[in-house]
Amino acid sequence: MKITAKKVRRFVGIILIWLVAILWCFPLIYMFITSFKLEADVVPPSLLIQHFTLSNYAIVLQQEIVHYVVDSLTITLSTVAVCLLVGVPTAYAIVFGKLKNPDNLFFWFLSTTLLPPVAVIVPMFLLFKFTGLLDTVGGMILIYSGVNIPIVIWMTRSFLLDVPTEVLESAEIDGASRVKSFFSIVLPLARMGIISTALLVFIFVWNEFFFAINLTYVNAAPVPVYMASFMTQEGLFWAKLSAISTIVVLPPLVLGWIAQRSLVKGLTMGAVKG
Amino acid sequence: MENHLTKRQSRLLTLPAILIVALVTQAPILFTLGLSFVHWIIVRPDLGITFYGLNNYVEIFTSGDFYGVVANTVLITVLSLAFCTLLGILFGLMLNRHFPGINIVRTLIISPFFVMDAVAGIIWRTLMLNSSFGFNGYFAQLLHVKPIDFFGVYSLLTIILLIVWQWTPFFVLIILAGFQSISEEILDSAKVDGTGWFRELISIRLPAIANHIEVAILLGLIFILKVFGLIYVTTRGGPGYSSANLPYYDYKVAFLGWDVGHSAAIAVVTVIITLVAIMSLFRWFRRRSKEAAA
Repeated sequence: MKITAKKVRRFVGIILIWLVAILWCFPLIYMFITSFKLEADVVPPSLLIQHFTLSNYAIVLQQEIVHYVVDSLTITLSTVAVCLLVGVPTAYAIVFGKLKNPDNLFFWFLSTTLLPPVAVIVPMFLLFKFTGLLDTVGGMILIYSGVNIPIVIWMTRSFLLDVPTEVLESAEIDGASRVKSFFSIVLPLARMGIISTALLVFIFVWNEFFFAINLTYVNAAPVPVYMASFMTQEGLFWAKLSAISTIVVLPPLVLGWIAQRSLVKGLTMGAVKG
Repeated sequence: MENHLTKRQSRLLTLPAILIVALVTQAPILFTLGLSFVHWIIVRPDLGITFYGLNNYVEIFTSGDFYGVVANTVLITVLSLAFCTLLGILFGLMLNRHFPGINIVRTLIISPFFVMDAVAGIIWRTLMLNSSFGFNGYFAQLLHVKPIDFFGVYSLLTIILLIVWQWTPFFVLIILAGFQSISEEILDSAKVDGTGWFRELISIRLPAIANHIEVAILLGLIFILKVFGLIYVTTRGGPGYSSANLPYYDYKVAFLGWDVGHSAAIAVVTVIITLVAIMSLFRWFRRRSKEAAA
């Protein structure tokens, strides 16, 4: 086999790309490695695991982290459900319905995503305090729904615009009811888009920090609030910290890997073509 | 489409979404605007709530902290966007080819985007940049130099580093989609002309994905202006306010000083700055693409 200069160059290029990718992800890779180390082996930093152990995970899973994960799951899954239940029909009405100004309504929803959360935090805090919603799961679901419904509408609309109207028309000629054509035609066609929208909202809510830290204390505190408490603890248990971190970043990571393709499509469509 | 949804049904379907979004985002903003004209410190109930006119705004614009924080916000935003765009194009080019393990490489590069701020900040603060036990200290010892003071002198740069680490993947996703949408014909014609690789990139590929780059920058701007968690878990805006942006500054006034009126006024100013920044960038891109089309 003849090794040409071109082949060598290609090979070196690929190695370089691999190196860059590994370096970029290195903090996460190293966090993963550290989570299997003994606390005594954490310093000095090393890529090798001197003594492999699962004890960090065992210890961590017996602590209060479980309670925070349950809160996070409750808040996140409920928010995703509310956002889809409310957002998808709205996008459907904007695309296929008879609204006076569907574009205006759409841009109104879109404009709310521009606002920085600090713009609403003080009134929300006061409102929550006086209505007893402060530090409750229900309060968090409400605020996260308000923030993420526009994102669901934004993305779902992109995917609904892809549904060919002829298909819907022919269904109507066949006498399918609106409800039926929505469930038997539109939903299946836009299924992948709606699923990836749900995954994106899951990731956003699971990771959200600002509202979580300001509107919860103990009863409804989700994972990010727990992670932030490590900031103040100076007793450093980096192996356990890494184990906890690995557990809490895993759900959004896996969902993100699944959703990456349609995520781009949903967020950029219209914007790129328009 | 005839006989589909009636007007009434359409409106009914949109009503719940409008109500929830208005309750959570629109109503509080009006409330914030109102609060910005009162003097109200929650931890001093003896002072009560009094009308304060424009004094909250006067206090903001005459305080030294505010201008520093605005400068930080501008620096963080502009530098982060610049690096994210450059790296996004670079990584996009890298990933826009076929080689063994391309899916794994792409997954590695985009992963930081899905990691919560709280964890990203803590991992960098401890395992990576800690000056005694992290890689920062390790390499300093190895090279017999002082570890870099990431959370003191360079705290603002640290914040930018973390934002770039988290947000470059987002740019890569969008820019890569752009590169993949360029038709083969355009590239083939360039090959026939004998255009060099770099010339081809500058004069053909990049103009072809201008829209994608603009979308990435606009969305990036919207999100980077809101950055809060990364600052909270790494530098706490410090030392002083040297690495605080507007959201973090406002948080400190609201929840550490409990000064409702003052923080509401900062929030109003933040909203105005945010909207002006986003709208001007949007207009600029619009004008540019019209000129390009003409």
